[in-house]
Amino acid sequence: MDVFAQLATGFTVALTPLNLTLLLLGCFSGTLIGAMPGLGPVNGVAILIPLTFSFGFDATSSLILLSAVYFGCMYGGRISSILLNIPGDEPAVMTTLDGYPMAQQGRAADALGISGVASFVGATFAVIGLSLFAPLLARAAIHFGPADYFALYILAFATIGGVAGVDPRKTLLSALIGLMIATIGLDPISGVPRFTGGDFHLYDGIEAMVALVGLFAISEVLMLLEAHLKDRKNAIPVTSWLPDFRAIAATKWAMARGSVIGFVAGVLPGAGASLGSVMSYSMEKQASDKDGTFGKGDPRGVAAPEAGNNAASGGALIPMLSLGVPGSGTTAVMLAMLISLNVQPGPLLFERQPELVWGLVASLYMANLTLLVLNLPLIGIFTRLMAVPTWALMPVVAAVSFVGVFSISNSVFHLEMMIAFGVLGYILRKLDVSLVPLVLGLLLGGDMERNLRRAMSISNGDWGVLLESPISITLYIMTAGFLALSIWLTRRDHKRTQARVLEG
Amino acid sequence: MSVRLAGAAILVVAAFYTYFGRGYSAAFGDVLGPSVFPVLVGTVAMILAGSLVIFPSGTVAWPSAGRMGRQLGALVVLFGYAWVLVPLGFPLATFGLIAGLAIVLGGPVWKSILLGAVMSLGLWALFDQVLGLPLAFLGDALTGG
Repeated sequence: MDVFAQLATGFTVALTPLNLTLLLLGCFSGTLIGAMPGLGPVNGVAILIPLTFSFGFDATSSLILLSAVYFGCMYGGRISSILLNIPGDEPAVMTTLDGYPMAQQGRAADALGISGVASFVGATFAVIGLSLFAPLLARAAIHFGPADYFALYILAFATIGGVAGVDPRKTLLSALIGLMIATIGLDPISGVPRFTGGDFHLYDGIEAMVALVGLFAISEVLMLLEAHLKDRKNAIPVTSWLPDFRAIAATKWAMARGSVIGFVAGVLPGAGASLGSVMSYSMEKQASDKDGTFGKGDPRGVAAPEAGNNAASGGALIPMLSLGVPGSGTTAVMLAMLISLNVQPGPLLFERQPELVWGLVASLYMANLTLLVLNLPLIGIFTRLMAVPTWALMPVVAAVSFVGVFSISNSVFHLEMMIAFGVLGYILRKLDVSLVPLVLGLLLGGDMERNLRRAMSISNGDWGVLLESPISITLYIMTAGFLALSIWLTRRDHKRTQARVLEG
Repeated sequence: MSVRLAGAAILVVAAFYTYFGRGYSAAFGDVLGPSVFPVLVGTVAMILAGSLVIFPSGTVAWPSAGRMGRQLGALVVLFGYAWVLVPLGFPLATFGLIAGLAIVLGGPVWKSILLGAVMSLGLWALFDQVLGLPLAFLGDALTGG
């Protein structure tokens, strides 16, 4: 009952004219960004954060806008996957497997309809889960002490990006680079300047938003310069805008299974939407692919990953809001914005700023409905906008990124730093090093150090305090489990690649 | 080879980081002090970077010289924008940014210049006039400020 009362309060917050306008704007622009090949939710949110900040919206309104953009991007990602065979981002990759063949067979409207409804089902399932489980997790997390938080941060670093079969050493190294950057500036406890080289620009530390925009938006421009210089192929034309509703209904169980699997994957710190869509697709294939139709245009192969990745996006908000540990790359970027607005996500957020949490949850219910309504009839507009060539799109994206960063600080130093982070981001991406752990290290480094130092103060310098509580021990066991899984996945992928080379 | 080189570069950075991190002295009453965390982070980073030097993983395909040239061109445009934004003002600098990047990205020259002209004025009008973000129309160098 408590949840319903809180939700009712949330709806009064979400339904103010400003928040409603931001929600609609966010849904529309998010779908647009998601539909553009090469631009995913991380880039979209990263580019818009500095702008949101400079408009001076309060934390609730900013969060509503960016969450609507986030959900919109997840919806929009399917459009370029289905019509161009180019996924907007990593989670949308699985949608190309059956979505593009469906479009080639003249069933583009069905594929778009199925993916739109599946996105709605998955995301709504996740928001219901968020309403029910986030407060419970927050209540449990109130018992966390400084040593437990330290263990939780280590778990987050070990898991984020690490279960996708990438070398776990690179993932950890990325987090450590982030932690190193986080220690630049005045030490929060003793006030000693560290690693500043005497430059006063660095006394406040590295501005997270400047780093984020550089790492994601500027590095994307450099990536595009090597990958997409040639003309983009034309999208498959959509002959009918009305999907076959019987075809949509036939995928209901695929949507249901995908939603549950995606949600669980989203809640795990670090696993995120990519794992959600991959797991949903592969499990649906195992469960339903009796005739070998998956990969050749099976509607269930579109429904399951779309429900999965949207459920994971909502699920990823649970650890971010209740523990302060993001569950995906995009939620890591949103965490940066909250910290910049002096809002500290974590268990106390639910007690201290219920209007923010429940306003966000209520707006997510509304965003889903808006996106469903927006996506089915307006699909033609989004499809036409995909024809904007990369050479015309990316310079405008870069200009908007500059406006955002410059309008916060009016500092050329920040612009230079943003470009330098872009180069760093590009090099790391080329080396197959995920940027998300770096962002996490940069964001959580200060808190991680503060909690370690607090724990050590309580124990008077005894390192054993880190392993004393059952919560810490459980978290360290989970960390070891995730690392073992990452190593196993890396070895398995390596062996498969070798086998393919030998066969080929 | 690229992974090894990157590992070596990170190893050197982490070594300097740890070396300087050791020097920060502890304040009174602060058990751990400001140096222990950086030393911990730097040491683990050195171990991991060292392991990448000895046992590298993955291969890196760098772009061809022509494409790298374009990437360098893009960086020149981006840094140039950062440096001329205040002296020239938003529309003129943004015109250079958009037109320059569009050309580097392979857009036709005249269309890129037209895009730069339209979008730089459009973005200025949108952000400064409609949304109220102050962006100077003429910079210090042009107004004598």
